[in-house]
Amino acid sequence: MPALILNALKILFLLLLFLFLWQIAGAIRVHIGGRGSAARGKGPTELVVLRGDVTKGKRVKLRGSGHTVGRSPDADIIIDDPYASDFHARISAENGQTRVEDLGSTNGTYVNGRRITAPTGVVKGDTVQIGKTMLEVR
Amino acid sequence: MTRNAEAVLIAAAATLAAIGVAMVQFAAGSWLDADVALTFIVFAFTFGVIHLAFRAWAPNANPLILPIAGFLAAIGFIEVFRIDPNLAALQRWWLAIAGISAAFVVWLLRDSGVAVLRRYRYLFLVAAVGLLLLPLLPESWPIHGAVVNGSRLWVRVTVPFADVDLSFQPGEVAKVLLTIFLASYLADRSEAMATVSRSIGPIRLPEPRHLGPVIIAAGAAFLVLMYQRDLGASLLLFALFIGMLYAATGRGVYVVSGLVAVVVAGVVAYQQFAHVRVRISAWLDPFADFTGAGYQTAQGLFAMGSGSLTGSGLGLGRPDLIPEATTDFVFAAVGEELGLAGSIAVITAYALFVTVGFGIALRCRDRFRKYLSGGLTILVGIQAFLIIAGVVRVLPITGLTTPLMSYGGSSLLASALILALLGRASHEERV
Repeated sequence: MPALILNALKILFLLLLFLFLWQIAGAIRVHIGGRGSAARGKGPTELVVLRGDVTKGKRVKLRGSGHTVGRSPDADIIIDDPYASDFHARISAENGQTRVEDLGSTNGTYVNGRRITAPTGVVKGDTVQIGKTMLEVR
Repeated sequence: MTRNAEAVLIAAAATLAAIGVAMVQFAAGSWLDADVALTFIVFAFTFGVIHLAFRAWAPNANPLILPIAGFLAAIGFIEVFRIDPNLAALQRWWLAIAGISAAFVVWLLRDSGVAVLRRYRYLFLVAAVGLLLLPLLPESWPIHGAVVNGSRLWVRVTVPFADVDLSFQPGEVAKVLLTIFLASYLADRSEAMATVSRSIGPIRLPEPRHLGPVIIAAGAAFLVLMYQRDLGASLLLFALFIGMLYAATGRGVYVVSGLVAVVVAGVVAYQQFAHVRVRISAWLDPFADFTGAGYQTAQGLFAMGSGSLTGSGLGLGRPDLIPEATTDFVFAAVGEELGLAGSIAVITAYALFVTVGFGIALRCRDRFRKYLSGGLTILVGIQAFLIIAGVVRVLPITGLTTPLMSYGGSSLLASALILALLGRASHEERV
């Protein structure tokens, strides 16, 4: 009889161990953001305007084909900013990676406060400054 | 996942430890006593203190590090208690001290962050080598080295006017300091080491002057460890160097040349050191010298074999028959009493720890933090792998402690340092 109880206790204890690990594994999955790697699963999905005027509103959904940003009425994202060029920068998404590229603007494009000279990858939380307009990638 | 969830999981790990201790006592025929309560209290205190330190000074720290560490410590503690309750009583003190130390480190870094460590890298290098050299102090001094199991790794402090000897293994802390040094050094040089090599052509080697200090540091550490006959720690440090070089540069050449070097060094060590030959033969055929060199490995195999799928049950096996079952061979003890299922749980926990650790490293934008958290994770992962592989006879026995599980104050202290640094690094990344 005690042997039976001990056996049951043993199995119960093992189940508890795995229950604990299951909880942790679940938390890790939530942390990483569902399936795929952190980069793919939680890539930036939108631009949020922190400062300045953007005709499309305070939030712009990023689309795969990319956007041009500038003062020109023909730009995909039109910003009302005297310091911005007509076609100032391009924001594109390739292979799950979002990149910002300066299109030869007069005043430059800044990612996290640094002027970029080549297409630069951005992740969630990075800021992009165009003229006096401040955008955050989210 | 929040701090509150972390607290709940820590309480769960402490409960697991207490249940395990209760089961050991139940199996021995006695009923619940103070040990169960003490175990719960000490686990809740140890990880609770670090948890509170995170809340106060690193509120964005990754909330999964502590629960996983608590889980591993709980399983290790149960087996230590089962084999030697007196040792477990000491281990409770070590746990509490480790918890306070980790909280202290988090407090120290509260304003400056881990970045401050980067500035003092050569201090850490000197301290690490100094710690590694400590066991070589002559026996007659008040602080002197001591030989345990054929390796001169221990330092014994004879407290004057009291008949007490305190011993510790300085190498355990030294490897954490070396990781800080390497992370700091590589953070400054990794670009040079990765890009310069590209321009040289087909033989992709970085400029020697960038590698120099790393090789000198590695060489010094190895020489000391070779002299102390601690080949397991040498192997661990070497794997750490290679892993961090690879992480920093992304160049496979380091891994390949590292593996070649290990094989060459292994062959040389086999020819030069008698105790290496003994270990290799005990690995290849532990039953050839069953009563001698192969005894430990063989007993470990018997233990895990008799444990079968779900184990004998806590307190119902004979893990006390395995030499060093509370330190090197604690995994075999788990294999006997909790079976394959329990062993898999342990390995899963290490895998989750490594996942979380690399997750932290991947998210870091700052190079130093990235290499630091990556390096510390590599350290824990490789050490767990080397010793578990030794127990299950995939590799020869290396004589390392099982991180967080083994009995031992130095080892726990080193693990506590790692937990504090990982927590702090992950906090800074999310501010």
